[in-house]
Amino acid sequence: MKKFFAPVLAASILALGSAVSAKAFELGVVAFQMSSETHARVANAAEAAAKEKGWDVVVLNSNGTLPTHAEQIENLIQRGVDGIVLAMSKPVEFDAQMQAAKEAGIPLITVMSGASPHALFDIQVNEYAVGAEAALYLLGQIGYEGPILTQRFESNVGTRVRGKVLDVVLSENKAVEEVGSHSMARTKSWREDVRSGMSALILQNAGNFEGIWASFDGQAFIIDDLLKEQGMQKGDVVLVSIDGGQETYRRIKSPDSMLMATVAIPFEAMGEGAVEAMQRIAVDGEAKEAVTSGPYLFMGADLVDQSNVDAFIEE
Amino acid sequence: MSAAEATGTGEGRARLRGFVATYGTALAGLAVLVFFLFFARNFASGANLLNVLKQASFLSILAVGFTFALLTSELDLSFANLCSLAAVVTGGMIAGGIAWPLAALTGLAIATAGGLLNGLLVTAIKVPSLIATLGTAAIANGLAFMLTGGVAFVGRWDPVFLSLARGKLFGVPVLVFFMLAVVALAWFLTKKTRLGVHMLATGEAQEAAHRAGIATRRMKLVGLTLSGVAAGIAAVLLVANLSSAAPQMAGDYLLNAIAAVLLGMTMFEPGRPNVAGTFVGALIISVLANGLVLLGAPYYLQDIMLGVIVIASVSVSASVLKRAAFSV
Repeated sequence: MKKFFAPVLAASILALGSAVSAKAFELGVVAFQMSSETHARVANAAEAAAKEKGWDVVVLNSNGTLPTHAEQIENLIQRGVDGIVLAMSKPVEFDAQMQAAKEAGIPLITVMSGASPHALFDIQVNEYAVGAEAALYLLGQIGYEGPILTQRFESNVGTRVRGKVLDVVLSENKAVEEVGSHSMARTKSWREDVRSGMSALILQNAGNFEGIWASFDGQAFIIDDLLKEQGMQKGDVVLVSIDGGQETYRRIKSPDSMLMATVAIPFEAMGEGAVEAMQRIAVDGEAKEAVTSGPYLFMGADLVDQSNVDAFIEE
Repeated sequence: MSAAEATGTGEGRARLRGFVATYGTALAGLAVLVFFLFFARNFASGANLLNVLKQASFLSILAVGFTFALLTSELDLSFANLCSLAAVVTGGMIAGGIAWPLAALTGLAIATAGGLLNGLLVTAIKVPSLIATLGTAAIANGLAFMLTGGVAFVGRWDPVFLSLARGKLFGVPVLVFFMLAVVALAWFLTKKTRLGVHMLATGEAQEAAHRAGIATRRMKLVGLTLSGVAAGIAAVLLVANLSSAAPQMAGDYLLNAIAAVLLGMTMFEPGRPNVAGTFVGALIISVLANGLVLLGAPYYLQDIMLGVIVIASVSVSASVLKRAAFSV
């Protein structure tokens, strides 16, 4: 028995050592689904920023599951952390847990989650503006006429808003026709879902679409690869998406990729901003209103295409 | 050493082996609990221990359902998806303005019907349960997405309904009472009723049970249906706890519940699915999930350690069982 449990207990003791060695400000960070790059970028940036301040950090991954997310918030409250940052959480679903954090006197900041009366505020980009920018860029590139395909994702508030804004833009530009649309339903096996759905649409509409709109960059990568498999080259089809990131920028710059542009959401800056706000409010004692007066702290997002992509690529 | 002494020592070893086989995993779980009590900050607080019990409730209820199926020697790999589907139906009806008792009963009925379908596929059409329940799981998953379009039903629903999962009775979360009621009922059914004995006999030696006049096909039908019932109960409570319903919301429970049952099979009645073991197995997994957060362990270490401990626990008792089986 010992030989099985000794390594486990040893690992626990090691973890314990790191947990009790300092009595600095302790931040709990929960990412809803670390397998999603954007969630991980927020959480990792928050963790790095907090460590830079000498804080202790507990980072948790809810694996995209609602009950697990709820349990992890509850566990952080029981641990008695000094502050909590939730990345891509859901205020209504976790209303009870957020309220419990508030009642326990634990300041809570959410990122890209939506407003909650129990949180200090939510750090957001204006998804409506982001959606409009991506949609208008796509339409501009195809001359405001012609058939397009869309890859949507309705389960996430942000991507759903982007899709609805696209619909508004299309309703005002009747010469652009959405000839095919695939909505990604699954969250865990989403890559396969996008690949099979868009593969069918691309084959079905071969030669009959000039642009593709994807609700986030991860989808665009899969579509980009599918288009390359079809023998298409840069300029044959305009592929536009939203989120940003080094892989996105590399593709925008690459002569082999169909990805033309993205709207870069500053996920790292959001994670870092959450930590900085926590510092000002929970550590330095500033009023929440000194950081932002409303339920949101909005950040800007840049349109990135070949004209400015070099400024975003990290060496 | 005299022959009598040697015999005595042999009996002592056998007794020790038997004790380890019966209680080894439970003791290991106890050791982990004691470790957390001493080293994990705030683990020992009353609020946290109640928190652990509350978090164990969904897992326990689902794992008890899986135990029923396994007791009759059938696998149910659909319970998590049936639970998600039932949750979506319940949440969708409440969001649509239908009274929550009716919505809850409908959710329960949907999951029960799913379990019954599994049972019929296995007993009437002779589809192996592994395949039948995988198929049912896929259907339930598809239906959940069809009903939601991937978008969760969310709302600030009737507080009475939400209190089913968020409420407290004498300072103890109501969920804990639901869990204890399900576990106690399941234990009573399996240990104190003829139905339980017949289900066990079916699982242990189907042919012999059949020859002894036990309706083995009906027992399998009951086992799989009860697994669906448990999924339905968990679904309603999940919806009440989160005030929302999403497809795949119970997805994480599939492996955890199976792990709880496997852990349970290494204690009390080694090698046999049993409700008490399942309950303790679910508690061990919940204690680990909570204790590791309170220790401040990184999230990836938590997954790794949970896997290691589950495998180690099962391996320990399996090896003891194997030794016991081959020793004369």
